[in-house]
Amino acid sequence: MDKIGVLTQFVYNIVLLNIPLLYGTVGEIMVEKSGCLNLGVEGTMAVGAIFGYIFGCYANSLGVGIFSAFLMGALCGLIFAVLTVSLQANQNITGLTLSTFGLGIYFFVGHSLKAKAWPVMNDYAGVSEGFQGIQIPLLSKIPIIGKGLFSHNILVYLGIVIALAVWWYLNRTTLGLRLRAVGENPAAADSVGINVKRMKYLHICIGCGIMGIGGYYMGLNMSGSFNSSCWINGYGWIAVALVIFANWNPALAILGTFVFGFFNALPVSASSLAMAFPKGLGWLAAIPSQLYDALPFIITAIVLIATSIRNKRGSSGLPAALGLNYFREER
Amino acid sequence: MGFHIVKRDNCPLWQKCCLYIGAVLLAVVIGGIVLLSIGVNPIKYYTRMFTMGMIGNRIAHVTFMNYLKKLVPLVITSIALSLAFKMRFWNIGGEGQFIMGAIASGFVALKWGNVLPMWLSLIIMCVAAMLAAGLYGLIAAWFKVRFSTNETLMTLMLNYIALHFLMFLSERKEDWNFFLDETSARPKFASFSQFVKMPTIKIGAKFELNICVIIAVLVGVLVFLYLKYTKQGYEISVIGDSVGTASYAGMNVKRIILRTVFLSAALIGLAAACRVGTAGILSTSITEDVGWTGIIVAWLAKLNTGIIFLASALICVLQQGSEVAASSFSQVSSSFANMLQGLILFLVLAADFFTRFRIARAKKGEKNNG
Repeated sequence: MDKIGVLTQFVYNIVLLNIPLLYGTVGEIMVEKSGCLNLGVEGTMAVGAIFGYIFGCYANSLGVGIFSAFLMGALCGLIFAVLTVSLQANQNITGLTLSTFGLGIYFFVGHSLKAKAWPVMNDYAGVSEGFQGIQIPLLSKIPIIGKGLFSHNILVYLGIVIALAVWWYLNRTTLGLRLRAVGENPAAADSVGINVKRMKYLHICIGCGIMGIGGYYMGLNMSGSFNSSCWINGYGWIAVALVIFANWNPALAILGTFVFGFFNALPVSASSLAMAFPKGLGWLAAIPSQLYDALPFIITAIVLIATSIRNKRGSSGLPAALGLNYFREER
Repeated sequence: MGFHIVKRDNCPLWQKCCLYIGAVLLAVVIGGIVLLSIGVNPIKYYTRMFTMGMIGNRIAHVTFMNYLKKLVPLVITSIALSLAFKMRFWNIGGEGQFIMGAIASGFVALKWGNVLPMWLSLIIMCVAAMLAAGLYGLIAAWFKVRFSTNETLMTLMLNYIALHFLMFLSERKEDWNFFLDETSARPKFASFSQFVKMPTIKIGAKFELNICVIIAVLVGVLVFLYLKYTKQGYEISVIGDSVGTASYAGMNVKRIILRTVFLSAALIGLAAACRVGTAGILSTSITEDVGWTGIIVAWLAKLNTGIIFLASALICVLQQGSEVAASSFSQVSSSFANMLQGLILFLVLAADFFTRFRIARAKKGEKNNG
């Protein structure tokens, strides 16, 4: 393969394989900004994935798939919200259980459907054609970056748009400001007349819905082939990590996705990169792939430590009341 | 007419029992409806699941021995996690600590298993596993007390780092890597079951009781006594209630956190040593998710050491039973257990609420602000 081709494919892979991380991260940022630490990203994405895929295929429409993935994700969010916001359950435990539960549903539904008739993606033109790459005029003609960044399927662009929209929403709108207030100090927010419960419910559900779409993307990207390992395969946990890396900023999450994506795509492209550039990158082939797999977690651990050492309030986007339930009568 | 929520001081025991049993039953009923919806007779399925297929089975004792093999690591891990949770230290790194313990005990078994006498290598395996897991747990604890790094996220990351390290060992075919089977061309873990194996005690004609079961019971009793009757156990509960109170009372909070997390992680290492010693081989799925399930169990049991035995026995029946049932109900995946487990905990968490709070009607003339 020629060098340009290899590089193009590498950039293309970085984007193609890792956009689900962006969905998961942006969704989780929205949830965490309301002061709730939801560790159920993995499960929520799995639920969104399986139902989005099945309903999308049955309706033969990508739009229906996206919508149902969002809806089922939001439903997971609703479970989380009822338990932690209304019923004061511990957030860590509820989130972890949501992960177990969601993965359970994923396998249960997939398995029982497979016993009858599993919908094959290519039989449903509405889904498979909707998921085809879209060449953006002019931009996609740029060498390397053109194909790498501007010839993707619609869900890639949607993910970027959602990330930017959430950034705008959090930082430039009144409702976003109120949401951040709820995450920082719910009692103070309550005292100025913000309905804390409603804000939390709303944003947990929307955030989890966004995660669900990310799960759906993941399923489509694997052509909907259902086997023993889950489509999500740990991406939900990386998303939890990426939130910290992005410092709770959805726009930075795009950058973070590509940084993490770089390491995720490396094992896929390492051998072809090493062949195309034997002098500069020949050593890439020698690095064990497990190190690449562990890198997102190692980087996040370091970022986590670094932010806590710096620990200047104000510079960190960590919501002050993250993980704490708000009980009005204790105000 | 408005409603608002009021904290209640005490909830009678019978009410608590009713609420929790009701929650579990409701989860089972919901699971049954789900089964019906895919055309499976829930009563038949549940009968098979809850009896683990032991009725009318000539090798029921084997099923039960396998059940105990699964149960032991889960019980020890749950008890270990409850130690840290009591202190409100969110150790969700059970998986990672378990893996580190497993690697350490595998290391001992493969390196010295064929030279040392078996009892000695088993003891060294346990000690090495406890040390490795304990130190791995200490990483998160040290950063927590030094820089107040969030331990939930930190232990979560450490889980995956450990998992990929284990995968690295399982897939890297090199001269130095004695974890792998030399005779196999394809990388696969070497077995050491012929040198080291946890001893069993024969009871009756067929049943063999693994010594790990005794270890688990012993750990349970010791931890119960430790928490209830020792100064250190008392310190843990004070920190769990309020760090401020603890330091005002002159306790060295940092040291207590470090000590307790080390103990918690080391016990998880012991669970790993039991698992590895029984299996006689490492594997990338050696944890069988006990690090995650243990969290659910510990919470189901309200961190109560005695009830942990009950809760983990139940969860283990679900897991083992669903695997057995999967063979006769092909359309039901064995992950039905995970779903049911999640449902049970969701409903128990909801039941928790009603033991701690009650819903009161707003009095007449009072403005509704609930």
